[in-house]
Amino acid sequence: MANQIDGLKDALVGLDMNKVLDKVKAGLDAGVDPMDMVKDLQAGMVEIGDRFARGEYFLSELIMSGEIMKQAMALLEPKLAGVDQEYKGNIVIGTVQGDIHDLGKNIVAMLLKGAGYNVIDLGVDVPAEKFIDAVKENQAPLLAMSVLLTGCQDPMRDIIKAVRDAGLDVKVLIGGNYVDEKVKEYCGADYFGTTADDGVKVAKEVFGA
Amino acid sequence: MSDKKKLYQERLNRYVTAMDVGKPDRVPIRLNLSEFLAKYAGYTLQEIYYQMDKNIESSNKFIQDFDVDTVPGPPSLWMGGIHDATGAKYLKFAGRELDKDKQFQFLESDYMKAEDYDDFIENPTKWILTTLLPRLHTEFKDPYRAHLSLIKGAAGMVMNQGMLAEAGKRWAEEYGIFPPFSGMSKAPFDTLGDVLRGLHGIMMDMHLCPDKLLAALDVLVDHNIYYGMATAAGDTTLPLFMPLHRGSYPFLNPEQWDKFYWPTLKKVIEGLWKHGKRTLFYAEGDWTPYLEKIAELPDKSIVFHVDMTDMKKAKEILGGRFCLSGNVPNTLLTYGTPEEVSDYCKKLIDEVACDGGFIMDAGGVVQWDAKVENVRAMIETTLEYGVY
Repeated sequence: MANQIDGLKDALVGLDMNKVLDKVKAGLDAGVDPMDMVKDLQAGMVEIGDRFARGEYFLSELIMSGEIMKQAMALLEPKLAGVDQEYKGNIVIGTVQGDIHDLGKNIVAMLLKGAGYNVIDLGVDVPAEKFIDAVKENQAPLLAMSVLLTGCQDPMRDIIKAVRDAGLDVKVLIGGNYVDEKVKEYCGADYFGTTADDGVKVAKEVFGA
Repeated sequence: MSDKKKLYQERLNRYVTAMDVGKPDRVPIRLNLSEFLAKYAGYTLQEIYYQMDKNIESSNKFIQDFDVDTVPGPPSLWMGGIHDATGAKYLKFAGRELDKDKQFQFLESDYMKAEDYDDFIENPTKWILTTLLPRLHTEFKDPYRAHLSLIKGAAGMVMNQGMLAEAGKRWAEEYGIFPPFSGMSKAPFDTLGDVLRGLHGIMMDMHLCPDKLLAALDVLVDHNIYYGMATAAGDTTLPLFMPLHRGSYPFLNPEQWDKFYWPTLKKVIEGLWKHGKRTLFYAEGDWTPYLEKIAELPDKSIVFHVDMTDMKKAKEILGGRFCLSGNVPNTLLTYGTPEEVSDYCKKLIDEVACDGGFIMDAGGVVQWDAKVENVRAMIETTLEYGVY
């Protein structure tokens, strides 16, 4: 039965949208466990992330793979209802208040999902209370905040302060093009990332998986 | 000649000499300041987005207080009132959708759909007027309101441009200062990728409809050359401002960059240069992998602006043939100390500006978060240490 989805991972890594969608449809028709297909696709996303880290893939490939993944998941998700997915852990992510840039955040979220984490994506322009509520509600050990403009970094500092004041036991990762050691120190974050695959690296460290 | 006229001429000579890769009396200082100017002058962002006189006043305060060779006009290019007149859905302004001190926001989306390519290629201007504008503006719901909103918006634009022209004259006469660029244009890939298809859309197009994308990029070459010359009103002394976005590393893979980004951008820059118009190649982000390609451009046809590109490599590959500018990190201006900023500028002067062809500037547009004392340190260090 599994041969319907042979090559599913490779089709995703090769960015062949039609092939991926055809295989998923054929798999569903043949009664293949949708979770098996999700796992193959996730393995594909991990490979794509690795290729990006090695400089073989660029943002255009990440965005294209994200689109293919989105369309494949639209086919798979209705069949996954009631199935308990196993995750490596919960991660809350969002773009901080005042900033609406979401390209980096979306790619990081996509790669984290691909690597097997449960990602709670709060979207853009997210205020402190929303981050705090989501961390509490999901008991997330990792909070990831995205910001592009240096002028929007102050809210990040305020949010991190609020998170610490609330006594939450959570590691904070900040990311963005203009984020560096200096910004990390200023904001009081635990980690910073500037490229797409930094998120997965940090998650591996935090979750030990 | 009045003192201010003399000062104007001195500064302009210094700037033009550097752009011609020569060695002026000292390193010229251009500061691409935006909302920083408003904060420095004590205005809220709402005030500068909605009141052109305050927008202009913001610049007055800075150029009275600091000895820089050139700063762009007022902090805000985007006037809220004009966009309110047409009901722009893709912009949010302080005091309207946002708090009074929040920077304006641009909501990116695929306002142009993949299926619009044929009509766009056939006649871009017609397509923009009949299809894009109604999608972007709430006032286009019926023809009556649409006409009125265009009249209001255009009248507002003309009034603003008139005030800006007056301000430019005053800045020259009273402060001896000139704008760092005249006119503006874009890489065709950015024209499509920024506002029309959006990043997501254009990334899909490279995979799913590459031929249509290439045809649309070709259509934009002449348009973007014309737009640059028209917005510069024919001036060729100052460079044209060209903010470059999607071509920075690592958006596109090298084949995509060579196929989709570079050929039409090169044609636009070369086309402008044929008119004697130099381009300020405002390379936002990191462009290190593409320096060799950029070096194919005619000597002096661009000023290569460094944000996060490797400055050493830029100097190695482009130095001597093209003027370089920028590279003082915006994070340093926000989080650093005056000593750190000063040290960074000295290093740039020693290592990059040493044999001319360099303009001091920040890496990116300076937002309102930069510390005044750091901006001061940048200017003072250049004035003292940057003398040849």
